[in-house]
Amino acid sequence: MDKIFANRWLRLAALAVFAVLLIVAPLVSSRFINYQLSMIAVFAVALLGLNIVMGYTGQVSLGQSAFLGLGAYIAAYGVRNEWNLVLVLLLCAIIPAAVGMLVALAAARLRGLALAMITIALPIIGIPLARRFSEFTGGSQGTTVSFLGAPDWSGLANDQWQYYVVLTIAVVAFVLARNLVRGRVGRAFAIVKENESVALAMGVSPYRYKVLAFTISSLLGGVAGFMYLAIVQFTSPETMNFFTSINLVAAMVIGGSASIVGTILGAIYYVLVPVVAGQVNSSRTALISGAILLAVLFLLPRGLVSLPRRMSLLIGGTRRRGASPRDDQNSPDGASTADPGTPETPTAHEERQAR
Amino acid sequence: MSLLELENITASYGHAQALHGVSLSLPAGGAVGILGANGAGKTTTLRAISGMVKTTGRILFEGKDISGLSPDRVARLGIAHVPEGRGSLPQLSVRDNLLVGAYQRRDRKQIAEDIEYCLDLFPNLRERIKSNAAALSGGEQQMLAVARAVMAKPRVMLLDEASLGLAPSTSRRVYEAILRLRREAQLSMIVVEQNAVLAFSVVDHATVLETGKVALTGDKAELMGMDAVRRAYLGG
Amino acid sequence: MMNFQKTTRLSGAVAIAGIAALLISGCTRDAGGTGNGGGAGGGTEASPGITDDSLSLGISSPLSGPTAGPGSCTVAGLYTYLEAKNADGGFEFGDGKTRSVDLTYLDDAYDPAKAVSNFRQLVNEEVFAYVGALGTPTNAAIMPIADEEEVPQVLLITGATAFSEDQAANPWTYGLLPTYYDEGFAFGELLAGAGEPVTVATLAQNDDFGEDYLAGFEAAIEGSDVEVVGSATYEPSDTTLNPQVTELAATQADALLSAVSVTPLQVGVLTRAQSVGWLPRVFLPSNTSTPGTIIEPGAGGAYPALYSTSLTKTPVSPAVAEDEDVIAYNEAFKQYGSTITTTYTPHCVWSYIEGAILEEAFKGMEEPTRDSFMEALKSIQGFEAPLLLDGITVDTTRDDQPAIDGIELVQFNGTGYAPVESY
Repeated sequence: MDKIFANRWLRLAALAVFAVLLIVAPLVSSRFINYQLSMIAVFAVALLGLNIVMGYTGQVSLGQSAFLGLGAYIAAYGVRNEWNLVLVLLLCAIIPAAVGMLVALAAARLRGLALAMITIALPIIGIPLARRFSEFTGGSQGTTVSFLGAPDWSGLANDQWQYYVVLTIAVVAFVLARNLVRGRVGRAFAIVKENESVALAMGVSPYRYKVLAFTISSLLGGVAGFMYLAIVQFTSPETMNFFTSINLVAAMVIGGSASIVGTILGAIYYVLVPVVAGQVNSSRTALISGAILLAVLFLLPRGLVSLPRRMSLLIGGTRRRGASPRDDQNSPDGASTADPGTPETPTAHEERQAR
Repeated sequence: MSLLELENITASYGHAQALHGVSLSLPAGGAVGILGANGAGKTTTLRAISGMVKTTGRILFEGKDISGLSPDRVARLGIAHVPEGRGSLPQLSVRDNLLVGAYQRRDRKQIAEDIEYCLDLFPNLRERIKSNAAALSGGEQQMLAVARAVMAKPRVMLLDEASLGLAPSTSRRVYEAILRLRREAQLSMIVVEQNAVLAFSVVDHATVLETGKVALTGDKAELMGMDAVRRAYLGG
Repeated sequence: MMNFQKTTRLSGAVAIAGIAALLISGCTRDAGGTGNGGGAGGGTEASPGITDDSLSLGISSPLSGPTAGPGSCTVAGLYTYLEAKNADGGFEFGDGKTRSVDLTYLDDAYDPAKAVSNFRQLVNEEVFAYVGALGTPTNAAIMPIADEEEVPQVLLITGATAFSEDQAANPWTYGLLPTYYDEGFAFGELLAGAGEPVTVATLAQNDDFGEDYLAGFEAAIEGSDVEVVGSATYEPSDTTLNPQVTELAATQADALLSAVSVTPLQVGVLTRAQSVGWLPRVFLPSNTSTPGTIIEPGAGGAYPALYSTSLTKTPVSPAVAEDEDVIAYNEAFKQYGSTITTTYTPHCVWSYIEGAILEEAFKGMEEPTRDSFMEALKSIQGFEAPLLLDGITVDTTRDDQPAIDGIELVQFNGTGYAPVESY
């Protein structure tokens, strides 16, 4: 029991340090760094949605950029018409969720590649639509907005204020999503992902949970769109670009599929690797990014989230050589279906051995 | 009154009709076997009950017609299907697989007790509680599939060829556990088997299917006394 | 138990990653955030990015992805001009000093969010000005930030009108190239001046680019004998324009404004129209008029006339190989620009010309400040930059037009383009 408490304190301490870092960082950093930190929060939420539908529920989605763009356009339209920002944020969640649900209702009966193809269609249809309805979207040139300036009482600069806003939204999204995937719904997602006929046998409708996962994913994509607009203050059809979807999928896999921490790592990867590649050689960013992608996938097939365990394996490898590899096959952060409320007690096991 | 009653069920896959008017009755607390050769329609009968194939005719569960319901709704009524080929969740641990079985339940305390019960039923699983299901042997996976169905606390268990591909000693262990389940958990069950000896170790009544039709039906003693049954399914 | 342990380690990893993110360029708020202080102080306090012997410029263009070809050229041409001049002793400034000018370039892959990131990074690294970036959405995203930070965002390589039409509202932003509107206008002018009734069909991309072309064209033909007898639009994602071309062919119009900006689609228009027996005079936009990639594959020789617009000499064309400016460009590009790209697009020449315009602005810059630079940049008139066609000059004093003044309507002569006189 002591050990559990020690670990819990350690965990809380680590979280507290992390929280303090997140809160203090923008006060001492340049606008450029605040922009990067804010973008990490933006794409962390978009990736979180993608991870729910792909990582946790096992359905391929290549259309997340369409929901990001939709959310950004709704936000831009609301801001231009001077709607209440809370209402705008709600619309950025509800409308993409509704669109996502409609698509999923039609598509979720399909599997694998067929579903992937339908999701690919979303950005491909979305971009010409955004260009055509230029009175709503600003057409190809996009639309620039100016909102979420820091209020006077805060004493903050705009970039700092906007960072805190998107950080707050991201934290709320992550806490809700974490509870979701660790609860009954998350367990249902895991069953659907692993074996649809078992899901049916357990009374879990794969269709319904796929639609749910896709709806939540679209909702988070739309919310990320609002956050995107808050930070970039601009959106155009390029936001929906299909390559953004592909890069998001890559970042999700790189960070760690079906993992909350992995989602954050994926967002850090998504935002920072192009910056790092640009520092190395601006003419070769695609090449450098590709090389990093391959290196991570090759060395850490379970994503960045498996790095600590991988390192401890390598370091401890000589000591514990021959130890059973079974323990390593659990899901990365134990989020899948293990019930955190009733941690496995060692007594049952020991009792049996004693017998 | 029977718990589960099949009345004149037909089912087909595309143009190929697999069942031609099968009727069957499972009394509460009873166990009925379905015997027959490959392709006789045994598995299809279970799939018909579970709502996994389109059927005509009536399927009454506690007097209510459940034909046409989707498989997940049938499952939620308390009919647990242990499919042929086991169908475990390979990436999840044994423990998580059992928790998955209890998905529809909210009685946490009872769930923990039931896990203990399943682990007593299948001691092999206790030893592998933390292993991924993928790492289990065929026999252990079959045990896990049965245990997972038990975790759902069903009224009726549909057991499809639990001995398929297992060594004889393993099959016997599985069926011993199934018999215990029937006695201790008052679980009603329909047992599909090619191996009639194993089936008769659990069931009191059986129906023999041939090409989608009921060929024979009777209680254990009757059927075991028939030469035709002995030759076909009892190895002598 | 395992779970808690794991989470502890992972939270630690996230925290470390967060710190790494902060340290990645090691800058703090004090060092970078207040780059716009120079404007307020007045006097001769130098702006960031300029010393007595150097000045730094920044650019973010698509260097990877589908637009990498033109994007790389927007860097390569400018880099060529700057490095050649640096090697020649440097740039002379209006304050009497000579400075070498260096260029920091970043890749944005045509993504507005990355472009903003790059712009902020360049401002953080204290570039004096942001110049010559390619792309309408990317530059549109940066425009308000340039205004807020008071950093010049000038001589942009884009055909959109938005960057130059309201210079009072966006004083720090400025375009380089004539707009799509101007191209459409030039063609309309030609038809309007034909001296006879002309029927015309239009085919344009269904967005604001296409609309710019049509708007320019319609403004030019207003009140003339030119009549639009058919019009069609398309989506950039379309795979064929055969239905549109067949529909327009039914009008048997004398001329076709084919404002198609996708290369294979433009080729398809040329092959389709002649195959259904329609041979109008065709106008091709400047970005889809290259003989080798459009006219030859499209068998354009069949048409009575093919028009396009041009600003510059084409250094890769043998016709101008003996031209003094072309020789200088080709030699310098081989030495400098070819380290960035070896594939020619017109953007290489445009960004080279941009270098010459910057040099002209530096000459007029009397104080080492961004304000002084903007003032000097907006005071250039009648400047004949190298490689510009005769009659096209740089005029930065117009408050609603980009830097290059004039556009030349050209006609295909079997191998290349030559100036067109009349219809």
